[in-house]
Amino acid sequence: MIDVVIIGAGPAGLGAAVAAAEHGLQVCVVDEFVKPGGRLLGQLHEEPDGKWVNGIEEAQKLYNQAIGLGVDIRCGISVYDLRKLENTWCVYTTDEMIESKCLLLATGASETPIPIPGWTLPGVMSIGAAQVMGNVHRVKPGEKGIIIGVNVLSVAIARELQLCGVHVESILLPQPGLLAGSAGNPEKMMESLLRLSHLAPSPLIRMGGKWVSPKLGARLFPKNGFKMWGIPIQLRKAALEILGDNQVEGVRMAEVSANGEVLPGTEKTVSADFVCIAGGLTPMAELASVAGCSFCYVPELGGHVPLHNEFMQTNLAGLYIAGNITGVESAKVARAQGKVAGLSMARELKALVYGGNEKLYAAVEEVTETRRNALIQFQPGIEEARKELHRKFDETYKQKLVSI
Amino acid sequence: MSEKPTIVCRCEEITMEEIQETIEQFHCSSREVKLRTRAGMGSCGGRTCRSVIDRLVEELGGATVSNEVPLSYRPPVRPVSFGVLGGAKE
Repeated sequence: MIDVVIIGAGPAGLGAAVAAAEHGLQVCVVDEFVKPGGRLLGQLHEEPDGKWVNGIEEAQKLYNQAIGLGVDIRCGISVYDLRKLENTWCVYTTDEMIESKCLLLATGASETPIPIPGWTLPGVMSIGAAQVMGNVHRVKPGEKGIIIGVNVLSVAIARELQLCGVHVESILLPQPGLLAGSAGNPEKMMESLLRLSHLAPSPLIRMGGKWVSPKLGARLFPKNGFKMWGIPIQLRKAALEILGDNQVEGVRMAEVSANGEVLPGTEKTVSADFVCIAGGLTPMAELASVAGCSFCYVPELGGHVPLHNEFMQTNLAGLYIAGNITGVESAKVARAQGKVAGLSMARELKALVYGGNEKLYAAVEEVTETRRNALIQFQPGIEEARKELHRKFDETYKQKLVSI
Repeated sequence: MSEKPTIVCRCEEITMEEIQETIEQFHCSSREVKLRTRAGMGSCGGRTCRSVIDRLVEELGGATVSNEVPLSYRPPVRPVSFGVLGGAKE
């Protein structure tokens, strides 16, 4: 039996592996994808100070650091079940069953779909899939694409596709209605976009971020949209149907009012050879559910998240979580959470040397700091939602866990 | 507004219209929608459409979202061969 198994080799998983291995723990990391790095692999953007962040390089650095500390990293294998014996977690992978004293779930988030007529045609993909094709596999998803769903993620990835040499025709809303929820509402989407305004080169949205109310923003929004990096972002147009016989040929769209109603007589068809659907992210907590964790529904964090405290402990002994499974945030926050989880597991396994507790508390503080300095806030109210979640955890489980 | 039906569950090819009718007729939960229509019961284990089913149930006046995960997860949470389940290496 080894000390720690970590599921997910993204920033949270590798961050935790490094922190745990630095304290002498024997660590094994498994990941479903063929390369380590998780969502870091897809990232390529320019920070406000003009420096480019290349996620592939960041991932390589973390990977090298972990390998240097003797961490066993296995890629291309999936975990399909978990079981807790007396003091042991049994992790069933497509390779073999691995037993460990502590288990960390760093499985990240998954994309939320928005069903649209025609979305099962070849050439339709999630926005994350297009990002992986371009940035990781170096394959163009197509020549001319339309992105359905206006949010922080879709705008950032549209820019990356552009850097790959792909023409992004436009980013527009899904058809308003039951299936789209708030993703079909111009005001709600304006609100989401304003959180990106400091990254935007367009003076309209950069200034808008400071003083325009989302309501006013959506009303005043020019009918033809505005441009970021030359890509038209159309908060007043909605995709009604994806067209094509055997593969994507175009999108039927129409204009919508500020509160999201389709304006009759404004329909037209725009050609494209691929379509991306951007419905947002939700924590991927299936294994936590199988393990029997308590859950909490927190919209600010992206949906149902396993109940946990600031030390990344769940209500089950020896089971920890870190990264987007705890709520959708940036890769930097995920990495900082990973460090906390690594140190917490070292504490549980009595591997924290003198001064270790101080290190753990400093790591918890670092998570809060990183969150406050994050460039992109996926949702408003994350800090408050997290505080409330931790309070709920303490209320219910503090007495039952290993004392601090 | 559209001529084509909107597929929600891609594995079992269940449309939005079928799910909507089921919720309106039986005022039911996500789990009951799954049992009645097979939406979310295909080879992906509902990984793609579960959030859409939950949203439809909520919007159409079925069960409201609680702290419980509406559609339970059961192992195997990834499609695996019988060989792997039986302990063979892939």
